Amino acid sequence: MIRSHPKSVDASQLPGEGFGVASPTWWGTLGFMVIEGSTLAVCAVAYVYLSRRSPSWPPSGTPLPNLAVGTLFIGASLLSLIPAWLLGQAAKNLDRAAVILWSIVGLVVEAVIVAIRAYELHALPFRWDGTAYGSAVWITLGSHTTLLAFDFGETLVLLALFLWGPIQKKHFADVADAVMYWFFVSLVWVPFFYMIYVSPRLFR
Amino acid sequence: MTGLATAERDALARTWGTPRGIAGFFTTVDHKRIGLRFIGTALCFLALGGALALMMRTQLARPDNHLLSPQLYNQFFTTHGTTMMFLFAVPVMMGLGIYLVPLMIGTRNVVFPRLVAYAYWVYLFGGIFLYSGLLLGNGPPAGWFSYTPLSETPFDPTKGSDIWAQMITFTEIAMLGVAVTLIITILKQRAPGMSLNRMPLFVWSILVTSFMVVFAMTTIAVASTLFLAADRLINTRFFVQQSGGDPVLWQHLFWMFGHPEVYIIFLPATGIISHLVATFSRRPVFGYTAIVFSTIATGIISFGVWVHHMFAVGMPELGLSFFTASSLIVTIPTAIQLFCWIATLWSGRPQWRVPLLFILGFFFILVRGGLTGVMLASVPVDLQLHDTFFVVGHLHDVLIGGAVFPLLGGLIYWYPKFSGRMASETAGKWAFALIFIGQNLTFFPMHILGLHGMPRRTYTYLASTGWGGLNFLETIGAYILAAGVLVTVANLILSAFYGRSAGNDPWAADTLEWATTSPPPPGNFAALPVVESRDPLWDPGGSEERPIVVGLPPDRREVLFTSALDAIPVRRIPLPGPTIWTFFCAVGTAIGLVMLIFTPWGLVVGTALAIPPLIIWAWPKAGGSA
Repeated sequence: MIRSHPKSVDASQLPGEGFGVASPTWWGTLGFMVIEGSTLAVCAVAYVYLSRRSPSWPPSGTPLPNLAVGTLFIGASLLSLIPAWLLGQAAKNLDRAAVILWSIVGLVVEAVIVAIRAYELHALPFRWDGTAYGSAVWITLGSHTTLLAFDFGETLVLLALFLWGPIQKKHFADVADAVMYWFFVSLVWVPFFYMIYVSPRLFR
Repeated sequence: MTGLATAERDALARTWGTPRGIAGFFTTVDHKRIGLRFIGTALCFLALGGALALMMRTQLARPDNHLLSPQLYNQFFTTHGTTMMFLFAVPVMMGLGIYLVPLMIGTRNVVFPRLVAYAYWVYLFGGIFLYSGLLLGNGPPAGWFSYTPLSETPFDPTKGSDIWAQMITFTEIAMLGVAVTLIITILKQRAPGMSLNRMPLFVWSILVTSFMVVFAMTTIAVASTLFLAADRLINTRFFVQQSGGDPVLWQHLFWMFGHPEVYIIFLPATGIISHLVATFSRRPVFGYTAIVFSTIATGIISFGVWVHHMFAVGMPELGLSFFTASSLIVTIPTAIQLFCWIATLWSGRPQWRVPLLFILGFFFILVRGGLTGVMLASVPVDLQLHDTFFVVGHLHDVLIGGAVFPLLGGLIYWYPKFSGRMASETAGKWAFALIFIGQNLTFFPMHILGLHGMPRRTYTYLASTGWGGLNFLETIGAYILAAGVLVTVANLILSAFYGRSAGNDPWAADTLEWATTSPPPPGNFAALPVVESRDPLWDPGGSEERPIVVGLPPDRREVLFTSALDAIPVRRIPLPGPTIWTFFCAVGTAIGLVMLIFTPWGLVVGTALAIPPLIIWAWPKAGGSA
């Protein structure tokens, strides 16, 4: 092998990790989102399949879930995208102080969202072990709640890293990827909000 | 070689090496060691699943036999099928992918080596968990598909079906981690110049398979972990008819996974075949583009055929016709591939070495299995043959002929790369002969017995049926087949000590894994290659005249990130080194998952035990890369 081959490639001047497609973490996050999205999609398949098998949906005698609480959750979840977006901008500007600030704000907001979700589960007027309808609603909400919890944990760990850890440029990219995941967790719930809270009211 | 080059090689070996001894065992992130671990462990599970099969064949050797009780027979056939599908076939193919892909695309490691290390431990613990259950009398009894309501608590009050559902969780976590890692590695770490249309066909097959794993395995993970396990643990009602659930929902979800699963096993085998056929025909494979598109088409169509497993359930006629059509269509891309391989052999100068013999065996048996598959795709025939031994014969022809034959050929073919030594040609020929004869003696008569109405999954039969003779023949065949597998395993073990030294490229093959030493050094290549064609080692000019990548520091774990389509170098990416925390994270995951079959608190305990090691594993080192 000779170094002077005309087709040889000199990598010494190539940049290191960057944002988006230039970061392995971005690709990993994308893979994780595809898997989580498919997980929720299978929950939807089960929900719709079971609804077609049932003469009425929800089954007669089962009250509908509380629309106000569900709307409160989706509203708060979508509003949280504002601090999430600001956090992403801080990361893209490589601004450590702003990342710390918006991470703290983000954590508070996410804590509020998790609390609303806890109340949402508490407010469901049926249990998971009464009917298949109840099972499908509970498991779908539960699956999405694990994503919320993961998102909260990720923000927490990244905040700890930015407060105490050795910071490199790639960690700003990690924050940007965490923001992408946050957007995913919020936006993916929109069709499920429709499925659980709106569609049974439209098609009862 | 110059002193400078030697110093650089030593630096590379230090940078990419694994600590020695027991520490290295638990901390390695070398894709070659992890890949071989997957392969070795999967072969152990093949032996265990095979032992169960031999016991079942011994039970069926004569009518009115009582060697195995009906309960034990149920547990054995369930564990046999579960082992072969989840613990052997998929992990062995993905393990081969983990080993070969970075070598074939010319990089130093996979993109998430720690995730793959973690995946191995989770897979291993899941397999041990299943067999612990069997040994403690709690083997799953409801078939490898675990149909509801048979797998629901009223019909299986043991822990067997819980263990089955949780074993799925273990293996799916592992395989999803591996699949995502391989997809990103293939798309972003190919050698400069290796555009998608120059990528080796095995890498193509692993890419398509990994995408299939992501979608198919997610389906089964949700169905078993979230729905079935929850039905059994916290009384959800997904599959309970009287509460508005539907047992048939399980069948749909299972086969939405289950049929792609067949191709998840088969497609990597097609990748193996393309390499073996090209190398031993001494020419590039015929119809590269057609084979690539066939691989992709198979991957997509295989998601649209699942209902052909459910023809006997009772569904609308129109739906059945659709799935008959799609099941016939899925044979077309496979047929295209078969013709491409035949054309390669026909127009080449075939060398009849052991790996190619296994490919010939593949042709014979897979084509038979494919034709019986076409028969079963027809609804009236299927209704007649459903749940008979005809189906058992068909599926073993397809899976053993379609995947195990190419796999064994592939293991012999890449064995020199794994070990630095050649496997014995004589032992290989004996093994092939025994396996080929055993396969035909065991599984061909099953078609006849199925046509005569012998039901599957039944622990014995009456002498008056007249099925004794053929069953006895099948049992003899099963032992011959097992002897052939044993000879292969012995060959692989003994040749590591007594085989003749292989050199870099003993078969004079064309792809990059043969450009480096056998076995490869920790960093795979002395200098990362640059690629100018589909068959870089068959390009004119010797190894001294090939272009390489320069300018990557040998003292840092850095690889190239290249563009997804054309493999133009764009970035230098640091990769993480060895760590013990992947192991601890896997232990925490395992404790949580095992607890979960007894109490929902397993979720809390598992999270508490697995998350801290995960954070430590991801936490960056000062001055270094995470």
